[in-house]
Amino acid sequence: MTLLLSAWTIGLILALLALGVYISYRVFKFADITADGSITFGAAVAASMLTRGVNPVTASVAAFLAGCVAGLCTGILHTRFKINQLLSGILVMTALYSINLHVMGSSNVPLLSVTTITTYAQSLGRWLTGHDSATLLGWPVSARDVGSLILVFAIVLVITLIAWLFFNTNLGSAMRASGDNEQMIRALGVSVENMIVLGLCIANGLVAFAGALLAQYQGFADVQMGIGMIVWGLASVIIGRALIGTDSVGAALIGTIIGSVLFRLIIALALRWGLNPNDLKLVTAIFVFGALVLPMLMQKVKRHAAAS
Amino acid sequence: MLQLRELQKTFFAGTPNQVRALRGVSLQIEDGSFVIVIGTNGSGKSTLLNAVAGSFLVDRGAITIASKDVTRWPEHRRASMIGRVFQNPFSGTAPTMTVAENLALAARRGTKRGLGRLLPARMQKTLRDRVATLNMGLETRMHNPIGTLSGGQRQALTLLMATWRRPDLLLLDEHTAALDPKSADQIVRLTERIVSEHKLTTLMVTHSMQQAATLGDRIVMMNQGSVHADYAGAHRRHIRAEDLIRRFDEIRRDERLDLSAAELLRDAYV
Repeated sequence: MTLLLSAWTIGLILALLALGVYISYRVFKFADITADGSITFGAAVAASMLTRGVNPVTASVAAFLAGCVAGLCTGILHTRFKINQLLSGILVMTALYSINLHVMGSSNVPLLSVTTITTYAQSLGRWLTGHDSATLLGWPVSARDVGSLILVFAIVLVITLIAWLFFNTNLGSAMRASGDNEQMIRALGVSVENMIVLGLCIANGLVAFAGALLAQYQGFADVQMGIGMIVWGLASVIIGRALIGTDSVGAALIGTIIGSVLFRLIIALALRWGLNPNDLKLVTAIFVFGALVLPMLMQKVKRHAAAS
Repeated sequence: MLQLRELQKTFFAGTPNQVRALRGVSLQIEDGSFVIVIGTNGSGKSTLLNAVAGSFLVDRGAITIASKDVTRWPEHRRASMIGRVFQNPFSGTAPTMTVAENLALAARRGTKRGLGRLLPARMQKTLRDRVATLNMGLETRMHNPIGTLSGGQRQALTLLMATWRRPDLLLLDEHTAALDPKSADQIVRLTERIVSEHKLTTLMVTHSMQQAATLGDRIVMMNQGSVHADYAGAHRRHIRAEDLIRRFDEIRRDERLDLSAAELLRDAYV
């Protein structure tokens, strides 16, 4: 049960990463690998502030802003200096590796002895259950796990709502249109370049915020924690799309979150059944490959069936 | 008023593929004038429209719209003064967004876009009423993705979008060329109605001599990157489609003459 709760919690935390990837990948068709660096950047900024005794909320917001700066850099490299999308992301991601080491001061920062969001979550859990532990459907669970899940769920809910509201404003709609039809939105007076920069800012802000929450939940920040995270985000976005299958913003956002949680649950089960943790990234990559190719294959099969 | 002074543009300059697309085009178009631009393929008529819209910056010359010098303005900035309809019906609309969203985006053409709602209730009603004036039954499909509509329907909506806020200049780039004859006819009539209703200054490129002869109050014929002929006023009123076609044939004959003359010279001297 603890495993299940933790899979849900991590799935929801990474849903924020997936929302960021939704913005870069679904809205702009921009495979933004900056995410690998900015999730660690968020964790690093939050961790180093927390160990200096900064309030967890302030530290998490600072992580969001740090991610925005990373996205700003990628956006500027791409739009102002005309560097290829992927390469802009790679440059910023690589630079962030050194920056993260500087911010953290070492390759790993433990957070077990400092006040973090998880401390709040534990108090929340204790207040709700009345004890340090409780039973859920007959299983014993700790107040900390229950509190974390509820808190993270609330955070994701609020952020998703804000994202949905944003995408229905004049500015947010112009951003969606920039990804949908550049020529059209330019003719309507919107600078597509500015939209890409702003979009990447928000996307990487969300990714870094996810990193900050993840570090606080698992109790440490590590300079390696970002590796392959973009693929994780893509997997979530793709699953979400397959599940929901429409282009309406609200549905796509909810799909992305469900996708992230579902993917984490699948992985947790696979690990439980004996998948070697070292194979995790390989399996994720193969999964995303499959999800990208499958629609194409299906169409071929359909065309074949129609022809014969 | 639109003023073009000595516009020059060369693509791929300095390479074997160099194209001198505009070779010193000067035009002055009065307010409320509806100008038809015709010309053979590669004559520079679409390039001229794109130069005015700011799709690229000209090498030389000046562009003035409503007495503002916009020569160095990027495309999105000029959009505050210009409404555009493209040849490809897919170019003017965002396919995954709804009809209402597309129109609402156009309703704010060239203005600052902030955190106000795109589709407040009041806006939705205005949009539906304006769409109903098209008489195409689209007001019942306001919340469908615009990509599910036909080319003709999308082009009609694009026309409505381009003129939602009155533009200082309306640019139509062969906007009926990709449509079936019936839809094309419908769009032509809609164009005529909107342009005359709002007295829009309009620059329309077309391949159809029929359209050229029946629409507008002035015809500009382009050839090899410059203005070949300009029919306005009384001159324009006497022009028929056959006259334009004859003029085209003359151009073609001249070009063939040029080529054969060059060949003769080559044979004689090289």
